[in-house]
Parts: sequence; C-alpha cells; structure tokens
Amino acid sequence: MDGSLAGELDAGRLAGAVGATGLAERRIPWMSALITPELLRRLEQIQLLAARRSKSSTKGERRSRARGLSVEFADHRNYVSGDDLRYLDWNLFGRLDRLFLKLYEEERELPVRIFLDASESMNFGEPTKFKFARQIAAAVGYVALCGFDRVAVNVFPAAPARITTGAVTADRIPQAAVEGSLRSIRGKKSAMTFFQNLSSLTPGGVADFNGSLKRGALEARQAGVAIVLSDFLDPAGYEPGLASLIGRGFQVNAVQILAPEELNPTTFGDLRLVDSETGGLEEVTFGKYRLPAYQRMVASFVQRLRDYASGRGIRFFSVSSSTDLGELLLKQLRAQEVWG
Amino acid sequence: MAPVSVMNFLSPVAFWFGLALPAVVVFYLLKRKRVVRVVPSTLLWQKFLAETQASAPFQRLRHNGLLLLQLLLLLLAVLALARPYFSGMAGEAALQVVILDASASMQCVDESPNRFEKAKAGIRQLIDGLKTGQGPKNQQMLLMVAGASSEVRQSATSEKSALRRALDSARVTDSPTRLTDALRVAEERTRANTSSEVHLFSDGAIPNLDEFGSRDLKLIFHRVGQRSNNAGIVSLDVKSNPDDPSRRAIFASLANHSGALISTTMDLLFDDRLVESKPLTLDTNVTPIVFSASQPQDGVFRVRLNHADDLAADNEACVVSLLPKPVRILLVSRGNRFLEKALNAAASAVELSTAADLTGSGPAMDLTVLDDVTPSVWPAGNVLAIHVAQTNWFPGGMGRLEAPTIVDWRNTHPLLRFTTFENVQVAESFSIKTPTWGVSLVDSPQSPLIVAGEYGRQRIVWIGFETLNSTWPLRISFPIFIANAVDWLNPASARAEQFKVHAGDAFHLPILEPVTHARIRPPSGVEFTVPIDPKAREFVFGGTGKQGIYQVTLGTNGMAFAANLLDADESNTRPRDQIAFGRRGEIAASTLQRANLEYWRWFAIAGLGVMLSEWWWYHRRTA
Repeated sequence: MDGSLAGELDAGRLAGAVGATGLAERRIPWMSALITPELLRRLEQIQLLAARRSKSSTKGERRSRARGLSVEFADHRNYVSGDDLRYLDWNLFGRLDRLFLKLYEEERELPVRIFLDASESMNFGEPTKFKFARQIAAAVGYVALCGFDRVAVNVFPAAPARITTGAVTADRIPQAAVEGSLRSIRGKKSAMTFFQNLSSLTPGGVADFNGSLKRGALEARQAGVAIVLSDFLDPAGYEPGLASLIGRGFQVNAVQILAPEELNPTTFGDLRLVDSETGGLEEVTFGKYRLPAYQRMVASFVQRLRDYASGRGIRFFSVSSSTDLGELLLKQLRAQEVWG
Repeated sequence: MAPVSVMNFLSPVAFWFGLALPAVVVFYLLKRKRVVRVVPSTLLWQKFLAETQASAPFQRLRHNGLLLLQLLLLLLAVLALARPYFSGMAGEAALQVVILDASASMQCVDESPNRFEKAKAGIRQLIDGLKTGQGPKNQQMLLMVAGASSEVRQSATSEKSALRRALDSARVTDSPTRLTDALRVAEERTRANTSSEVHLFSDGAIPNLDEFGSRDLKLIFHRVGQRSNNAGIVSLDVKSNPDDPSRRAIFASLANHSGALISTTMDLLFDDRLVESKPLTLDTNVTPIVFSASQPQDGVFRVRLNHADDLAADNEACVVSLLPKPVRILLVSRGNRFLEKALNAAASAVELSTAADLTGSGPAMDLTVLDDVTPSVWPAGNVLAIHVAQTNWFPGGMGRLEAPTIVDWRNTHPLLRFTTFENVQVAESFSIKTPTWGVSLVDSPQSPLIVAGEYGRQRIVWIGFETLNSTWPLRISFPIFIANAVDWLNPASARAEQFKVHAGDAFHLPILEPVTHARIRPPSGVEFTVPIDPKAREFVFGGTGKQGIYQVTLGTNGMAFAANLLDADESNTRPRDQIAFGRRGEIAASTLQRANLEYWRWFAIAGLGVMLSEWWWYHRRTA
C-alpha cells in the first residue's frame, strides 16, 4: 500500500470498503492480492469456534462463566440492598412475595493469537510460504474481528532480526511499529488496518520458533485460540513452543506450510545446499530415483508432527504454499471445526 | 567345478594392480564440484542424508554403493588378470574312481619326494574336495592301486577317513604298469553310473591300451613327473657261452632315456662277489652288453649300473643261474640219421640214447623223441613226437592228408626261431584239429602240421608228418628247429625260465610232493610262511612286488627265483602328456585341463556386469 492511499483511509471508510467489494477491488488493489473480496464475504459468515468458554475480562460476544448483562438468562439470586431494581424478577415476587434478582450471562471477547513465522525460510515457494501464511493470518484475523474477538499477531523473528538480515519494507513503514500495531486489534472496523499492516510485513532473519511461542504464551493475559503459521523447520524442534501454548491454556491450531520444492525437489545432481537461515551447508547427490525416499522422509516428518499435535489436542494442518486458499479456509478448517 | 578348493593364480604379478584400490578410495574422498543451491532449510535434507551419508570421511564411504561397485569392479579385474584356477581338477561326478599308478617308474625322484607321493598328494586333494552329505550332492570315491596287478584299496565310499587310510597304506612297487585290469574295473563301475569319472594318477609310462581304444571311458589323466633322466637295465639272461662251454655268458641290455650320452661302469657280481666291472658309454639307443664268467656252482648273477639317476629300481637286476647239465635224450626210432645228427648238435652237451621201443624201465630222461614209433609205454616226461598217432592228445580224431601244402608258420614262437618252411614239401601227414592244450606252429590249409603245448605238466612238440617223407631234413631249418625243440623241451631250461619273473608277476612252481606250507624269504630278509593246500599241485606266490632274490622252501626242496623289473616301458620315465588308447583314442594330461579350469573369464564377465550396474546406478543417482 502506498502512503497516499493509506492517508485516504479512515476508520469509517474502512468498514464501507470491506463491505463493498467492488469498491475494495477498485480502490485498494493490494487487498485482493492478500485476500479476495469474494473470500472476505464468505468469511464474514463464519465464526471461530471456541471449545472453552472465554476467560477474557473484556465484554464481547462470547459466552463466559461471568455473570453480567446480556439477553441470555443464567440464574436467580436473593436481592440484597443496593442491587439494581431493574433486574428484579417481579413475577417471582408476585408468586412468592420474596425478592429475587435475575442474573444474565456476561458475554466476553475471545482472544485470538496468531503466531506468524516470518523467517527467511518462509520466503520460498511460489507463492512464497510467507505470503500464504499471511493470507491465512488475514483470514483468521478477519473472521475473529467480525466476531468481535480480539486479535493479536505475533510475528517472529521480531523486526530487528528481520531488518538486520537485509529485509527492507517496501512502504518504508518501520516493521517494529507495524508489529506493535498488530499486537491487539479489535472490531471489524480495524480490519483494513489489520490487512494493511499484514501486507507491509516482509520475511527475513532466523526464527526462534520455540522462544517466540513461549514469549507469546507468557505475554497473553488470557488464553484463547492460538493459530501457529510456520513451516516448523526449526533445527531446535517445535515441541517446547507448542507445549508452552498448551500449558498456558490456548486452544492451538497449527498450520504447517511447505513450499512445493520442499515436497517435490526439482533440482537434481551433485548439489551443495545452503540453508537460507543458518547458512549451513549440506552436500548431496540427488536423483529422481531417490525422490520417493525423500518424499517418504518428508511424509514421516509431517506425520510425526501430526502425531504430536493430535496427542495434545492441537488441530494440525500441513499444506503446500500452492494450495488453494479457499479450499483450505472454507473446507479444511471448517471440517476440522476451527470455525463454523 | 573343482571340489577342491585351493585357488591358485597363473599370473600373481597382476595383484600389483590391486594398488589401484586405495586410489579409487582417494578419488572418492576428494571433493566433487557441486552446484550450489539455497534452500529454505537443510533440516529435511539432514534427515534425508542421515541414512545415506555420514560426516566423517571414511564413514561417508560406508554407504556409498557406487564406490563399492567400483572397488568390486577393480577387484574382479585384478583377479581376472591374475588368472585364477583351481588345482583340483575333479568334476561334479557322483562317483569318482581313482587309479593310482604304483609301478616302478613312479619311484622317480624328479618330483619331491617322488612321483608316487606327489600323486598321493593329488589324490588327497581330491578326497578333501569330496562333497559328502545326503542327497544327490553326495560324492563317492573308489580307490584302486595299479601295478603289475590291480587292487581295489577302498570300495566306493564317501567316508574321507577311510579313503585317506587306504591311500596312506598304498606302497609303490618295482613292477611294470598294467592298467588294463584297473581300467576294466573302473569301466565296470562307471558304466552303471552316468555321473562318474575315472581319475588316473600316473606318469604315463604305460604300454598302449589298445583294448580301450573304442570305448567311451570318461578318464581324467593327472600327470606326475617333470623330466626323463634315467638309464636302466631292460633285459638280462644267462646262457652257456657259445665260445667257451665251460663259462657262462650274461647278456644284458641297457636303455638310456636321459637324452644325453652317459659314461659309466657296470658291475657283474656272482653271489654278491664282484666278478667284473666294465666301463661303457650309453647313447640314446638300447645298448647290449655281454659278460663272460665262470660259474663254479649254482648261484645268482647280479648286474649293477653305477649311475645315479631318477629311478634306482632299474639300475640293478639279478638272475638265478643253475649249472648247465648235459641234456639226456632218448630217441625211439627205427633209424633216422638226420634226426640223430640234429639231436647230437642240438645242445652243447647231449647224452643221446637210442631205442627201438619204449618200455617202462630205464634211466630217467630229460626228453624223449618218438620218431614214427608208437611206444608200448608212453613217456612221462617231455616229448618230441614225430608222426605219432596218440589219440589222447587229439580228442577230435586223426585222419590222413596227402601232400599238404605249408601255407603259414608262427615264427614268433621260440620253437620256430630262425626257421623257415618256404621250401619244405611234405608227402603225407596226419590231419587233426588244433587241440586246446597247444598252438599250431606250422599250418596247411586243411590241418596243423606241427603243434606245441603243455599237456598236463608234459611239454609236447608234435610233428604230424614223417620227416623222412619230406624235404625238411635237407633244409637248414631242420637242425635249427630240433635245437630249438631240445632247448624248449629241456626241463632245465624250462626251470630256468621259471626262476625269472617280472616284479609283481606270480611265481609258479609245480609241487612234486605233498606239502602243507612254504617258507619264503623275500629280498627284505624277513622270512614268512605261506600255507598250502596239501592237494595243490602247484604253488603260486604273488607277493613279488619288490625286485630281488626270493628263497622258497617247499618241504625238503629249496630253490631261489629272481624278480626283476626289466621293462623298457618303465625305464622310459619321460612323463607323457597323453595316454594313447589304440591308434585314435588319446587322453590328454590334466595339466591341459587345468588350463581349461581357469576362471578369469567368469571374473571378467562379473566385472562387466558390475560395470553395467555401476553405469545404471550412477545415472539413476544423478538423472
């Protein structure tokens, strides 16, 4: 997004822009690259499904254990002096001649935390793994915002690490500020800003997967739904990070995104492979006849991850970055009851 | 393929090429030029390579199939260049008949320690390689030892220890080679068994085996022996000295098979006392040598060739010589001056008596001549019968024949030596059928005219026509024939022949009085006793494997006989590459078969296969 266009957008217009697809395509062309208006429209009909009641202290639209003001009757209690007379149950008073106060369920928000891997390794594939992950993040975030839930995006590695590896933001917005603005977003009207900030992220640097997830788990005031978008190719593994989210009480959804060439390498011969993040070298002589063995190994790696996830109640998806986004969002995630 | 399993190499120098093996490894350790590719993460590749590559240099080679293939290819090439072969030339036959030549020539020391032991070592290898076990893979071996006679040392068995024991007990003899019996047994045993073969371990010093020329005998000839460096005595005889009847003439023949002139000496000993030593030069032909010596009593003449060669057995020979006695001849005749004169001249000492008829009484005679007389009493001794009708001798009956024409005569018989019947005409003769006890010497188309043979223990020469009714007495062949006949019929000369046997041949001696045992003192000096059936009329002794003088005592009679090699074929110790079977059949020595059992082709083929698979592997890896 260029600066002049960003200047034109204000909060009031954003809601209109999101609602009016034709306008969005015409006036905000970068948005259709992130997520198509058609898909946005369909996402508006979806709501994130939370397995547990919200523990957030902020009012929202999710059922919670707290008692408060809503239309959902919960219970009665004896009147004590000072209670709001508006909530007295006059019908009971008429029959029993005693004063009871009607209690209603308090509706709270659902904190949705998106962990977005923006390391250099995500900058591969066609489209790149990072772009695909960003699209998923945008979709999940949009669904949450439409449901009046709070969205926080944890981008890792953090901006300084990405910038030192040479990444430069296209629109000159400091990455750190963008990351800061992604920490807490609420309300459908913030969707455009959310999209804008996501679009301005660029991948780079070395990710500390486990450290990032641990930090994210610790800094969350309330547990909620966690979406982890990564390739899970961290030499240190993925178990401690996911375990910290589970331990914090998050309902974790993990999406592994791999580039097509990681699933089916197309380069053969005597190769010296350079790790894009660590710079580590591997020498390999690779031919088509070894492709099945490689594919078996990748399948085994993914299966281990899947087994780990299913053992801990994590919903797990492994997709190629070339997968159709609509297919993933509207079928796979729905089938797995991430949302409904 | 060979059951024996020591592999040897014809070109072991090719193993130097094996130094190229480390070079291949070094090439693999060198870094290859690789295409650099940046990948998102090498994590997946690390996991992938964990099974195929290790980081340490030599561990990296561990799972490198291409390198292993190249090393294997190089190894196979080196092995092929080294030309491997198996020394045991046996086949996969289920039955292996092994014939070990135990004749005198196998004593040659051109192999270490000698040919016989070398052959035994070869057989031991065959035994070692014998496949034993259940089922069709089981192999059996039959072991025979062939000298003058053949002996099955071990019947067909797969028990290696029994075969080894039988082999160890085999001893070499001084006898000539007679393989016919052994081959016949082998043929008999292998005929029924389709998977069988005969292994002959010999030096090939074997007379022609014409009998087996047309037979399909699966024979593998394992040749032993490397050279021919031998000179030996091939014949020995003692006769009266024609120039000096008081002395004895010792005739010997020497053969030189060394291929070079030999200058040496030859000794003559009488009863182990040196009589004469003669210097002589032996060329490559047979050299005759004659000694003349006086003989005071019966004794043993021994000749000794003083020449160190590969075979010692034929450098010495001996002969038992009895003092010559006058031949006592009784001529029963109505008068025949030609015959009388011929008989008188027949031997150096003749005591000729004449009589008109033969009666029971009278002194014992060495031989009786019946000249156209049918005697009242038939003589018990040897007989020269001229125109005598003795129907016992000719059970087929006798007839008469007018003017028979002589068409053939057997001049190889000792009786017809130096005689010819070309110009002999006969007026009339008896006609007979050749009896089983004799052979026809002179034939007309209708009937034999002269027959000789042994009837019981009686030697008989029968002439069917009256000599005076023929032109024969006028011919020179007549006195020669009479002289030959006297010599042949003289019991002394017959005995003298008896007292000479070839080593390994049986010694036969008529038993004149009933005896129960014979005491024998062989050349080794260890005397032993042989039981004899009291009813037996002949003593037969076969244990003459070692040459020398054998003393035999039968009851009160004592005598000696000599066993000698005296075989030109055995003295020719040149190892033969082929054994002739008749005119066409030949069996090549297994040294040639050994070449056929080289395995370099198989290694080369395997190498080619490895090379192709390496090519395929490489292209699969990098395609």
